[in-house]
Amino acid sequence: MTKVSVLFFGATADEVGDREVDLELPENSRAEDALARIVERFPRLAAHKLLFAVNQEYASGAEIIGDGDELAVFTAVSGG
Amino acid sequence: MTEEIRDDFYEITAAPLDVGAIARRVVPASCGAIVTLDGFVRQFTRGRETEYLVYEAYEPMALKEMEKLGAAARERFAIECVTIVHRTGRLEIGETSVVIAVAAPHRRAAFEACEWLIKELKSTVPIWKKEVYADGETWIEGAN
Repeated sequence: MTKVSVLFFGATADEVGDREVDLELPENSRAEDALARIVERFPRLAAHKLLFAVNQEYASGAEIIGDGDELAVFTAVSGG
Repeated sequence: MTEEIRDDFYEITAAPLDVGAIARRVVPASCGAIVTLDGFVRQFTRGRETEYLVYEAYEPMALKEMEKLGAAARERFAIECVTIVHRTGRLEIGETSVVIAVAAPHRRAAFEACEWLIKELKSTVPIWKKEVYADGETWIEGAN
């Protein structure tokens, strides 16, 4: 299994009730599979259009997730 | 290609922003203009009154994205130096949330780059705004 941490911010942190959770994924999971698993675990996230980052870079979905990677799930940004 | 030393500056801070000091942090000898955006907390949005805002950032990623924007702006516009500072935490009406300062030899490029930078920042840099009203609050979700 691949162990990762998943970070949440703003609206996604409110929906999950936490800012960081640990997650175990099957070896060689793709980013899109990881996101699907996270939404499955926290179904309230499905109410939002989600963006996904792996190791602080926006993910296309095809990235292979490795042990210790930092994932982040958040809504469309609204700074400024 | 030689690597030039740049005076670009990117920061996320919970401390109040001193716009004038940030704008004039670097005054390059080759430049003649600095265009500064002072983005501040608006009281009325689409007719609804905001009491205050809360900004939250994914700091390390936000800084990386700001650096990418600065580099991209220098490719697109004839500018010398980019400064972006964004505040986080609770901000009251009228307080500055973001400062973008662009120094250039001539003003036109600085105006264009500053406008481009704020537009890009609002769609790519992972920072979120919560509007707090008298009767509730909402995390604002961007258009992208």
